Amino acid sequence: MWVYEKKLLYPVEVTTCNPMLAKYLMEQYGGADGELAAALRYMNQRYTVPDKVIGVLTDISTEEFSHLEMLATMIYKLTKDATPEQLEKAGLGAHFVNHGHSLFYENAGGVPFTATYIQSKGDPIADLYEDIAAEEKARATYQWLIDISDDPGVSDALRFLRERENIHSLRFRESVEILKEERDRKKIF
Amino acid sequence: MNPQEEEWQLLKKVQQADFVVVELTLYTDTHPNDMEAIQQWREAIKEAAKVRRQYESRFGPLSLLSVPSTQAIEVGWHWNSTPWPWQR
Repeated sequence: MWVYEKKLLYPVEVTTCNPMLAKYLMEQYGGADGELAAALRYMNQRYTVPDKVIGVLTDISTEEFSHLEMLATMIYKLTKDATPEQLEKAGLGAHFVNHGHSLFYENAGGVPFTATYIQSKGDPIADLYEDIAAEEKARATYQWLIDISDDPGVSDALRFLRERENIHSLRFRESVEILKEERDRKKIF
Repeated sequence: MNPQEEEWQLLKKVQQADFVVVELTLYTDTHPNDMEAIQQWREAIKEAAKVRRQYESRFGPLSLLSVPSTQAIEVGWHWNSTPWPWQR
């Protein structure tokens, strides 16, 4: 089970209404390498991996949900006061006629989220390599978002998230080594 | 410092202390034999609990598993009260 904590993982401060930046951030909200994809991928893989890596998948998946909430907070704050005209100018006209001011799991191009973004192979090494790749792609996306962001508060939160992806990648790499060691030990005895 | 500013500052301390726990938990997941890290983790949990008590006794529970203090109830605390994290 999960228990809600009425706080963000890291504080998010947004400077001004900025629907264009919000549109770009949707890549990490509902995109292929985004936080929803990451959270759902790890949460689903954890049931059938060796015991030694269940903790990593559970804890990282849980953290990804807190990243998702940070992104939602940024997108919400950047768009809540925008007029339909401002949204249209930012390329969110189609989003507005379908969703109003609400959020939706879609990427920066407006493509809705799909489970085909993620995989679960039932092979722990194959799954963990996918997870490492996912973290590296998320890190790269955060870098592009930082490069394009013109809001210092948003950039600060994005830098935090970029660093977390680095840590997650590292923990998944260590998990691969743990499984390889275990496999080799079984071969010897 | 006005009460709102004070609440925000104390919440940031909770976020900091909890983050240390998140980070050390993840580290010890893949380094189960690192005794120094496990000791740091033990201390981080205690520190996070201490900071959380400071916050919650004045401003109400952050989680449904926390017990609301009499003080928080007296000042009209309800779980379903603003601001939610994205409204700050």
